[in-house]
Amino acid sequence: MITLPPIPLTSTEENPLNVTVSALELLPTVTRLHEQRWGYLVAITGIDEGAAANQITILYHFAHGATLLNLRLTIPRDNPIVPSLCSIIPAASFYERELREMFGVTITNTPNTDYLFLPDNWPTDIYPLRKDFQPEGVGA
Amino acid sequence: MHTNEHTAQIEKFIIPIGPQHPALKEPGHFEFTVDGEIVTHASVRLGYAHRGIEKGVESRNWTQNLYLLERVCGICSHVHATAYCLGVEKLAGVEAPPRAQAIRELVAELERIHSHYLWLGVTAHEAGFDTLFMYTWRDRETVMDILEAISGNRVHYSANILGGVKFDLGEKEAQTIRQGLSFLEERTHHYLEVVSQDALFLQRTRGIGVMTLAQAETIGVIGPTARASGLARDVRLDDPYAAYDRFPVPIILDDRGDLSARVVVRLKELLASIETIRHILDDLPPGELTVRVPRKIKPGEAISRVEAPRGELFYFIKSNGSEMPERIHIRTPTLCNMASVLTLAVGHHLADMPMLLAGIDPCFSCNDRGIVVQYGGDDHDHWTWERLRQFGIDHYKQLESGVF
Repeated sequence: MITLPPIPLTSTEENPLNVTVSALELLPTVTRLHEQRWGYLVAITGIDEGAAANQITILYHFAHGATLLNLRLTIPRDNPIVPSLCSIIPAASFYERELREMFGVTITNTPNTDYLFLPDNWPTDIYPLRKDFQPEGVGA
Repeated sequence: MHTNEHTAQIEKFIIPIGPQHPALKEPGHFEFTVDGEIVTHASVRLGYAHRGIEKGVESRNWTQNLYLLERVCGICSHVHATAYCLGVEKLAGVEAPPRAQAIRELVAELERIHSHYLWLGVTAHEAGFDTLFMYTWRDRETVMDILEAISGNRVHYSANILGGVKFDLGEKEAQTIRQGLSFLEERTHHYLEVVSQDALFLQRTRGIGVMTLAQAETIGVIGPTARASGLARDVRLDDPYAAYDRFPVPIILDDRGDLSARVVVRLKELLASIETIRHILDDLPPGELTVRVPRKIKPGEAISRVEAPRGELFYFIKSNGSEMPERIHIRTPTLCNMASVLTLAVGHHLADMPMLLAGIDPCFSCNDRGIVVQYGGDDHDHWTWERLRQFGIDHYKQLESGVF
C-alpha cells in the first residue's frame, strides 16, 4: 500500500495545481479524488519530450469548478507503460485510446485497444504525435 | 453437429452503420449488436475527418495556428479560436481589452444560437418532422446574416486575433443584431411550444435515452447533454472567461434527462443567449480592441477552457519559447458525450439510434484541404491548396487596387 502525501485540494493559489505522481501512485491518487468526488477528468494529454530526453509526459487534467489539477506522470519513452483509469473512471477509455495510438503508450487493463482515430491499416509502430514522426509535405 | 440453431445462439447479429451515416451529414462508424430490434451493445469508430491538426500546429507559428485551429470545426469555429487566443494570451502574460472580450462573448453567443438552431433542425429531421427542420433552418439564416453583417463571413467569422478582436461594433451593427434577435426570440418561444406539445415529436423524444444525474456523472457528459440531466456544468459560470464575469449567462437545467429535456434545454439556452447579447449591446465597454502580443511566446503551459455550443472545449498549450508551439492538445465536447450514446443505446430500439445520436449534437468536424469546383455540367476542376491560396492572394490584391 502506498501512502500519499496530503494534496491541498482546497488551495486555489496556484491554478492549475501540478502534482507529480509515479505510475504506481497514479491509481491510488485517482481513486482518492474519485472517492472525495473532487471534480472530474477533463482530458488526458500526452507530450513527447523527444528521443534525447527519452521521456513521455502524461497529464491527467481534473477540474473542480475553476480549480484545475494536473497529475503529471513521466515515463520512459522506450518503455512507456501506464495503468488504465477505466476501472475508476470509465469515461477515460476514449482518452486512453487516443493516447495509445498517438504516442504508443501501453495502457494496462484498458478495456478497448482498437484505433479510435487512425485508419485500421495504419502501421503499428508509427505514432503520429511523437516528435520524430514527420508527415510528408510538412514545412515545405 | 453444426446446425443453424446452434450458430444463431452463439453468434451476435451486428448492424454496421456508417461511415456514411444516415443520421448525420458527417462521417462516423457505429456497430450496434442487436437482439431482434433491441440494441444490446454499441461501439464507435471515429477519425474519418481526422486531419492531424494537433501535429500540424507544431510546424506553424502562433499566428498561423489561429487560422488553422479556427478550422477545426465548421460550426463552432469561434470558440476554438477563442480558446486558443485566451490560452496564448495567458502564456504571453497579456490580456485582451474589455471591449474585445465583450465582442468575443457576443460572437460566441451568436454562434451558439446558430449552432443550436442547426441542431434543432437536424433533430427534427431525424424525428421525421421535416416541416420543423425547414422552418428552423430558414430562421437560422437570420443569425447567419447577422454574423456576416458584423464579420463579413458566415462560417469562419475570424473575429479573434491574438490579443483582441478584428472588428468593432457600431450603432448600425447593434441595430441589425437587435432586430434579428427580436425575430429569433419570438420564433424560439414558438418552437418551445411545438417541441413540448406536438404529439408525434414527443413520442420520439419523451422518455427516450433517459440519463440520470448519477449516470451523467459517471459517463462524464458535458454541455447541454449534461445540463438536461441536471448536472450543473457550464464553464461560462464555473470558470468565467472573456467577458462572462461581467455579462453572466443563467444556467439552464432540466432533471428529466431524456431527449425531450435535451431539446428543451437547448431552446431555453437560445433565449438565455439572446438576453445576454442584449446586455452586452446595452453596456459594451469602451476602449481599444487589441493589445500587442509578442511573436515569440514565453515558455510555459496554459490550459484554456471555454463553453462551446456542445459543451466544454479544452485546450492545453505548451510553449518552448519559440515562434511555434511545442504541443497543443484539444479535447472537444463530442468526445465526452459520445460515450453516453454507446451506454444509453443498450436496451433501446434500433430505430431510436439516429435520434439518440443527434441528441448529443455530435460534431465530427470535417474539412478537407482540397476543393472541387463544379462549373455546371460535369466539368470538374480539382483545386490544389497552392492554387486556392494563390487565388485568395490575387483576389485580395485586386480588391486593394480597386479593380472591383
